[in-house]
Amino acid sequence: MLSRRRLLQYAASASALAATGAIPAAISDAFAAEEGAKRVIPWKNWSGAQSCTPALRVAPSGEAELAEIVSKGATPIRAVGAGHSFSGLVPTEGTLLSLDRMSGLVSTDKAGGKATFKAGTRLGATGSLLAENGLALDNMPDINKQTIAGAISTATHGTGSGIGSLSTFIDGMRLMTASGEAVDIDATKNPELFQAARVSLGALGIVTETTLKARPLYKLKKRTWTAPVEEMLEQAPELWSKHRNFEFYYIPYSGMTIGIINDLTDEPETPEPVNEDDDGLRQLQQLQDWLGWSPATRRWVIQKILGGMEPETRVDYSHKTLSTERNVRFNEMEYHLPREAGTEALREVIETIEMNDVEVFFPIEFRTVAPDDIWLSPFYKRESCSIAVHRYHEEDYTPYFSLIEPIFRKHEGRPHWGKLNTLKAADFASLYPKWQDFLEVREGLDPEGRFLNPYLRDVFGVEA
Amino acid sequence: MKNWMGICVGALTLMLLAGCDGKPDAMQPVVLNPERTELYAASCKTCHEDPVTGAPQTHDTTAWEPRLAKGEDKLLDNIVNGFNGMPPLGQCIECTAEDFLTLTHFMAAPSIASLQEENEEKESQ
Repeated sequence: MLSRRRLLQYAASASALAATGAIPAAISDAFAAEEGAKRVIPWKNWSGAQSCTPALRVAPSGEAELAEIVSKGATPIRAVGAGHSFSGLVPTEGTLLSLDRMSGLVSTDKAGGKATFKAGTRLGATGSLLAENGLALDNMPDINKQTIAGAISTATHGTGSGIGSLSTFIDGMRLMTASGEAVDIDATKNPELFQAARVSLGALGIVTETTLKARPLYKLKKRTWTAPVEEMLEQAPELWSKHRNFEFYYIPYSGMTIGIINDLTDEPETPEPVNEDDDGLRQLQQLQDWLGWSPATRRWVIQKILGGMEPETRVDYSHKTLSTERNVRFNEMEYHLPREAGTEALREVIETIEMNDVEVFFPIEFRTVAPDDIWLSPFYKRESCSIAVHRYHEEDYTPYFSLIEPIFRKHEGRPHWGKLNTLKAADFASLYPKWQDFLEVREGLDPEGRFLNPYLRDVFGVEA
Repeated sequence: MKNWMGICVGALTLMLLAGCDGKPDAMQPVVLNPERTELYAASCKTCHEDPVTGAPQTHDTTAWEPRLAKGEDKLLDNIVNGFNGMPPLGQCIECTAEDFLTLTHFMAAPSIASLQEENEEKESQ
């Protein structure tokens, strides 16, 4: 049956089209739209690998509405963020919750160096909102599409040996628990909950607001260069010690890397360059398709291309140099390893790929992250390096990732919570000294498991 | 909803040239209601008003023409599953199928401003 709203729309369309004399076709199209609009559409994550058909999809505009949903909505209740998690954190047959209507800057405290955001604010939006107030975050991840709530709940991070994940920026937060009660949390008000909630996988409740530590607006000088992999691996410890942000990418089957460093500067901004990363990836994909049969030729061609690249320098405000637009979709596995194991593990990853002729063109990413004391942070009391492998979203990632994961596990790696891995409750328990403490806090806040989907029940070892 | 109706009434003169949040045809501007204006601003606009992303730009009727030619079912499939650089659901978590189709027609149609300019040009000739 047509709703009154739809009839009004069709009437408006008809009015509009009266002048064109195209009424019959337009009305026909409009009804066709109504038929198409009846389709039940699933939710899918950014890569398309995770999906579900929830009973309810909701986007509350405030805490009162949210309280109704979390206390009475169909379970499991899962907040989706921006859909950038590759692991099974989101899929639910119950309530899929978007915080898109609970976003924006709430307040800033320039003197105190902090800013409060509604939790659905996208990371990409924080940069300009803070800059208008003379502030900036200490770091940004490579991708900035995520919501603040999604990013902190999974310990999303950038690179920098002295800089922690985004969860370490939290000065305080507000959490809507399963009972529909909002709790204010910081290091003094609820110290134990503060340690648990800063990385909580959406298992303790729905984050509605976060106050993030910020610093005066600053500029970075970003330098990008190419180097043979052995040279980069030898220099890596010095580079991550000397520079504020250091990372590099290994191009499979090339023997070559691309290094990126960012350092504080007062130099004037340079023009924003055209982002050629997506085109570069497509070229690497073509080379795989054309020359995959001959690794030596593929290596020679990539070396020729990269060898001709001049080092690049860019100066701009931090939120503009630290994140990158990524339009070629992929699935990803990333593990955080003890810092000292990083370069050796990467050597093993490269050797495994190239010895086994793994079909992959996505560069392998190497970053560093500072330790923290958050219970479920993969960086818990450990200086870490992060190694990430990616597979084009249309290709099956399992053969590749299953070859690489044992290397990460051998080096006592902890997986990124938002990225693919095959670990179970017992594995996590052995990797996280405060695992049991977290489970007790979770049980206390949500004894019925309203926020637990099948994936999280598996992770926490909680039966349905 | 009251706001939406208000806007439609207020835009009545424009409606002689433009549909309101429906899908008249590809050459008629579409006026979004406030709810869908919010959805557009939160999701579609990020890429469809940024040429760097490679996405067909809002109101670029030439770029949208071959896409519309695929038909609504195919368009909706591409939106749900993602297409090239566009992620599944265009990152709009709360959009219904009806929202997606209306937003697509809004982006594929010319802007009201461009149609007004065209009319003014015709009148001046």
